[in-house]
Amino acid sequence: MPAELIKVTINGQEFETDKGARLIDVCREKGFAIPSFCYYADLALQASCRMCLVRIEKMPKLQTSCTITCTDGMIVTTESEEIEKAQRGMVEFLLANHPLDCPVCDRGGECELQEMVFDWGGLEERFTEKKNYAPEKFLSPIVANDPQRCILCKRCTRVCDEWMGEDAIEAGGRGSHTVIGTYGGWLNCSQCGNCIEVCPTGTLLDATYRHQTRPWELSRTISTCTFCSDGCQLSVGSRGGEVMRVVARDRYVNGLNGEFLCIKGRFAHPFVNHEERLRTPLIRYKKGGKLIPATWDEAIRYTAAKLRAVLDAHGGESVGVVGSPRLTNEANYALLKFAREVVGTNNYTATEAFSLVPFFENLGAPLATHKDIRHAKTILLIGGEPEELQPLTGRQIRQAVRNGGAKLVIINSVPIRLKHAASQFIQIRPGTEDAAVLALASKDDAGVAARKLNVEAGALEQVRQHLNDAQGDVIVMFGGELGAEAQSLLAQLSFTFGEKEGRRFLLHPLPLFNNSLGVHDLGLMGGALNPLEILDAAGAQLRAMYVAGSFLRTHLEGREDALSKLDFLVVQELFQTATTEHADVVFPAASFAEVDGTYTNNDGFVQRVRQSIPPIHQSKPDWMITAMLADALGTDFGFQMSSSAVFLELAKQIPAYEGLRYPLLKDESNPVQARHALVGQRDVSAQLVELRSLVEGIEETGETTTQTPPVGHELFKLGTLTSKVPQFHLLAAGNPEPESVLISPLYQITIDPALRDEAAVAGD
Amino acid sequence: MSIIGDVIESTKAIIKGMSVTFAKIPQQKWTVQYPEEPVTVQPRYRGMHLLHVDELGREKCVACYLCAAACPSDCIYIVAADDPRAPTERTGVDERYASVYNIDYGRCIFCGFCVEACPKDAITHGYNFELSVYNRADLLKTKDDLLITKQKQSLNYRVAFADEDVDSEYKEV
Ligand code: SF4
Ligand code: SF4
Ligand code: SF4
Ligand code: FES
Repeated sequence: MPAELIKVTINGQEFETDKGARLIDVCREKGFAIPSFCYYADLALQASCRMCLVRIEKMPKLQTSCTITCTDGMIVTTESEEIEKAQRGMVEFLLANHPLDCPVCDRGGECELQEMVFDWGGLEERFTEKKNYAPEKFLSPIVANDPQRCILCKRCTRVCDEWMGEDAIEAGGRGSHTVIGTYGGWLNCSQCGNCIEVCPTGTLLDATYRHQTRPWELSRTISTCTFCSDGCQLSVGSRGGEVMRVVARDRYVNGLNGEFLCIKGRFAHPFVNHEERLRTPLIRYKKGGKLIPATWDEAIRYTAAKLRAVLDAHGGESVGVVGSPRLTNEANYALLKFAREVVGTNNYTATEAFSLVPFFENLGAPLATHKDIRHAKTILLIGGEPEELQPLTGRQIRQAVRNGGAKLVIINSVPIRLKHAASQFIQIRPGTEDAAVLALASKDDAGVAARKLNVEAGALEQVRQHLNDAQGDVIVMFGGELGAEAQSLLAQLSFTFGEKEGRRFLLHPLPLFNNSLGVHDLGLMGGALNPLEILDAAGAQLRAMYVAGSFLRTHLEGREDALSKLDFLVVQELFQTATTEHADVVFPAASFAEVDGTYTNNDGFVQRVRQSIPPIHQSKPDWMITAMLADALGTDFGFQMSSSAVFLELAKQIPAYEGLRYPLLKDESNPVQARHALVGQRDVSAQLVELRSLVEGIEETGETTTQTPPVGHELFKLGTLTSKVPQFHLLAAGNPEPESVLISPLYQITIDPALRDEAAVAGD
Repeated sequence: MSIIGDVIESTKAIIKGMSVTFAKIPQQKWTVQYPEEPVTVQPRYRGMHLLHVDELGREKCVACYLCAAACPSDCIYIVAADDPRAPTERTGVDERYASVYNIDYGRCIFCGFCVEACPKDAITHGYNFELSVYNRADLLKTKDDLLITKQKQSLNYRVAFADEDVDSEYKEV
C-alpha cells in the first residue's frame, strides 16, 4: 500500500514525504544534520536527550523532532540561534557530571558524545561543583561499566528489553543520581553485548577488549559470523595479525543484523589467535604413535601416497570424504570436487547435525529473510529454540511481536523463553514434533496427533484456523526435531492451505551452523551416507577417510572408536579434537578470519567472508589444502590459488548460485539470495501415509517439563571454539558473582575444573 | 701577463685572506670542544624522548595512543594493557598502561607533536642527542630506553638555565 504523500517545508525548502514519516528521519534524509543521542530507529521513543530540537511553526516551544510525525504543510526550522543555544545548553548539562577521561576510555575515538562535544560543546566548563563519583566496575565477565560517563539516553535498556526480551538492565535512582544498573548487581542475561554496541558513550564497555587498543588502530574487515546459521554481518578489528575485537557497529557495517550480535559472534573470537592452534602439518607415522610435525611438502606427499595405496587396493568407494557446515562454500566445494573427480566416490557427507535434504527437495515456498520475519503477521515455530541457537531470528521474532504486532504460535516440548511473546503456546510431549506437522498437514489426522502430542484437539484446530485466516506474511520455522516426512510436508504446507489473497507463506529452517545451508546447496549432504553411517562404515566398506573439520560430539557418541578402525585418516582442523586423535595426518587449517570465501545463511543469503589477518602459523585455507592434495594425486583443480576462482567454478556448477561472483556479493547491506528451486505442488501422499504410521507408532509416555530452561543453556556451552574464551568458562559454570565487582572476575575466580569439564561435555 | 705580475697578485690575495684569519684569532671562539666539553642545550631542546613517572614511580602514560595518532612519521608503537592490581602497586597511574612503548628513531623527526598531544604530560623531549648506532635496528627504542627512570643521560650536555642567553652566544660572530 503506497503511503500518501504530504508536503513539509524544512528551512524554507519544500519537500514531499510519506505521510506518517518521522520528522528527524525526513530532515536527515533531506540533508539537514540533526544531532541526537536517544533516538534509535526501530526502538521505542525515549525523547530524553533533547538534542534533536527544532522549531515548528504554530507550536509552542522547541519540539523534539524524534517524536514528531510529519503533517501536511508543516513548516520546520532546524538551524537558528535559538536552537543552537538550546543544544549547546544540553551538551553542557550532559557533561556536568562527566569525568572527561577520554584518554583511558575505551570508547574514545568512536564516541558519539566526543563527536557531539566537538560540534556543540563549549570550550570551558562553567560548573565548578564537585562531580558525582562512581568507580568503574564489572557487570558480568563480559560487560564493563563506568556509570559516570552515562548520558541516560537509555538505548541500552530499550535494546535489552525490545531486542533481547531480557530486561536485565534498567535505570535506577533519580535526577542527577540516576544510573544504569542491573537487578542484584550482577548481569545474569544472555550476555549479547548489544547494550555495549548501542551505547553512544563509554559507559558500557566490552570487558574482553578492555584497555587493549584504540579503535583507529584497528584495521576493519567486514565479514560474516562463523557460529550460527543467521549469518550476521560483523566487522573484525585486527591489529598486527591479531583479532582484537568484533563489532557490528553499523557505522562500518550495515548487514541484515544492524547493530545486533550475540555473545558468540561478538565475544567468541579469541580462538583465532589461540596458542593451541595447530602450527604445522602433523604426521603419525605409526598407528598408535605420536603426531610429529612435518613440512607441508612432506605431509602432502605422505598423504597422497597413502591415499593412492588405498585407492589402488580397494577402489574409490573405499574412501570417505567429509565436509563441514562450519567451512566456507569454497572449502566444501573443493572437497566435493575431490570426492567426485579425484577419488571417484559417492561416500561423502558433511558433519551436519541434521539433514534438510527432504525439505529442500519439496520446497514449495520461498525462504523467509530476517526482514520478512520482522514484518511478518503470523509466525509459527515448531520445535527449535531460536533464542539460544539462532539469536538473530529470536530477536526478529520478538520485535515482530512487540513492535509489529505479529501473532506468534509456538509448538514445543519445552516452555522456552520465547513463550512469553507467543499468543499461543502449545506444549507437546518430547519427540512428537512430527505429529504436530501431521495435524497441520491433514485435518483428518488431528485426533490421533492430538493424542500423541498430549494436547487438546481444539488447540491444533486453532492453529490451523490461525494459518487459514492469516493476512500478510506467514512464516513457518522449524528446528532439527522433524523427520524427513514431516520436513517434506512442511515444505509443502502452503499448498495444504491453498492460495489466498493477501497471504504469503514463507519458510525458515533453523539449522545450527554458519554454512549449514551451503553444504545442502552444494549437494554435500546428498551423498550416499550420512555422518552416522559413514562412521559405521569406517573399517568395513571404508578404508580411508578425508575429514575437514571434526565430527560432532553427537556423532561420535557410542562410536568413539569408529575412526580408529580406518587404515588411513586425514583431518584438517584448527585444533586437536576427538577426530584428530585418530588421524594419521593432520593439516593446520585457517580460520574464518584468515580466509576469503562465502557462507550461506538460513535466509539463503550468500554472504562474503573476508580475510582480515594472514593465516596463523603455517595454516592454509581448507580449499587450498584440498587442491594441493588433488594436485599430488594427479588432478589439477585449476584454482590458481584464489578463492574467487573456486567460487566462479562453484557458481557454474550449482544452479542456485548461478551467475554469482564475488563483486556481486560485495555490498553487505544488499545481500544476494541464492535461487533455491521451488518445486511447486508435489504429491506428498506417500509421505503422509509414512508420517501417519510413524506418528501412530509413537509411544504415549514422554514426560513434559514445566521448567523454562535457563538463559544460555545452549549459548554458553563450551565447544571447540568457545572453550578458547576464558569468559565462557565462567558463564558455563553458572556466571558466579565475584567478591568485588571492581576487578575483572577473571582475575578473581578460578573455575573448578570439574565444573568446566561437565560443561564441556555438554557442548559440541 | 708576466710571471712577476702573477706572483704579486697571489701574494696580495694571500695577505687579504690571512688578514681575515688573523683578525679573528683574538676574538671570542664559539666552537665547542665536544666531546671534551659538554654542549649547552636550550631548555626547549628536542632530544630523545622521556617517559615520565609520578611521585610513586608509576608510569604516567595511560596508553591513550594520542601521541601515536599525532605522530606524522608514524614511529610510535604502543600496546595497551590492563593492570588489575591495587592503585599503589600498579605499573602506571591508571589501570590502563602501555605494556609496550616503542619509538623508532630511524623515523622520528623530533617535531614534538607527540609531546603536544599527550593529555597526561607523560612524554616529553629529553636532551640526549647521541643517537647514532652501528646497527639500524638499534634505532628502535623501547620503554627500557625511554623511561626517565631508566634512560642513561649523556655527560656531554648541559641544559642552559631559563634566563641564560644561549642564542646570542652563538650569534655573536
Ligand atoms: S564516553 Fe566519550 S566523551 Fe566520555 S570519556 Fe569516554 S570517550 Fe570521552
Ligand atoms: S549506559 Fe550508554 S546506552 Fe545506556 S543510558 Fe547510559 S549512555 Fe545511554
Ligand atoms: S599521549 Fe601521553 S598518555 Fe597518551 S599514549 Fe602517548 S605518552 Fe601515553
Ligand atoms: S533524539 Fe530526540 S530527544 Fe533524544
